[in-house]
Amino acid sequence: MFIIHCPYCGEREQSEFKAGGEAHISRPKQPSELSDDQWAEYLFMRKNIKGVQYERWVHTHGCRKWFNIIRDTSNDQIQAVYKMGEKPPIK
Amino acid sequence: MLNYSNPITEQKSYSGLQLKEINPIMKLIVRGKKREFLSAIGQSLNLLLPNEPNTSTRTDKLTALWLSPDEWMIYSNETSNLDNNDYDIENILNKKISKTNLGAITNVTDQFVLINLKGDKIYDLFETGSPFNFNKFRNKVGSVTQTILAKIDVIIQNTNQNEVNLFVRRSFSQHLFSWMNDSASRL
Repeated sequence: MFIIHCPYCGEREQSEFKAGGEAHISRPKQPSELSDDQWAEYLFMRKNIKGVQYERWVHTHGCRKWFNIIRDTSNDQIQAVYKMGEKPPIK
Repeated sequence: MLNYSNPITEQKSYSGLQLKEINPIMKLIVRGKKREFLSAIGQSLNLLLPNEPNTSTRTDKLTALWLSPDEWMIYSNETSNLDNNDYDIENILNKKISKTNLGAITNVTDQFVLINLKGDKIYDLFETGSPFNFNKFRNKVGSVTQTILAKIDVIIQNTNQNEVNLFVRRSFSQHLFSWMNDSASRL
């Protein structure tokens, strides 16, 4: 359990949110030209690392807005929160 | 409203806490992003939609709650006529907002149930089932929050010192009311 600072509503408890997986995965421009392996790579393969990860989250039980979080998966420390479409503040 | 059967029929009272449903109250969800949308609402209702997160604004007849950067709930302060489910305000907004593609108006009168809570033990009750930190909320009249209470989505507005309005989806309202009574009986 941890606290997330929603960029719209402020500090809320994690149970109000849902995780939406890894962020910044772009859809291939020409899906029809990809092989099945490349398509599967885009569709299913996620890094799922232990350490700092870029993630999408949604405030389901609040404002219902999506945003990005940079979270350390080993200790749940959130390093940055930024809105959809914005560049990550930390590389 | 025609053939309205309310899900909560009782008023309950405990030491420092009173619960009752208020109905029928007109409730509208308005959504829009454009600047013209905000000014059109302001002009047609004489009501400014709150810009600041987790706040509300109020006129004699209406209250607007901030729900999200592009979503608000407007409800009537007074109960409406039982024999009628046609609302002037909805018609005005439909004409000015929906028909001109500025935003969306949805009538959620029957979707949400308004439960009014009074007393100095309101927040003791909420603390038994909500992850939200009510410390700032309870001291600021007009605060609004969308959160979870007993795993149910609710919208809570601080209307007065020791008085709150709670909106819950109709299908959850009976269960939430019985949970609140259960919880209030052991405060």
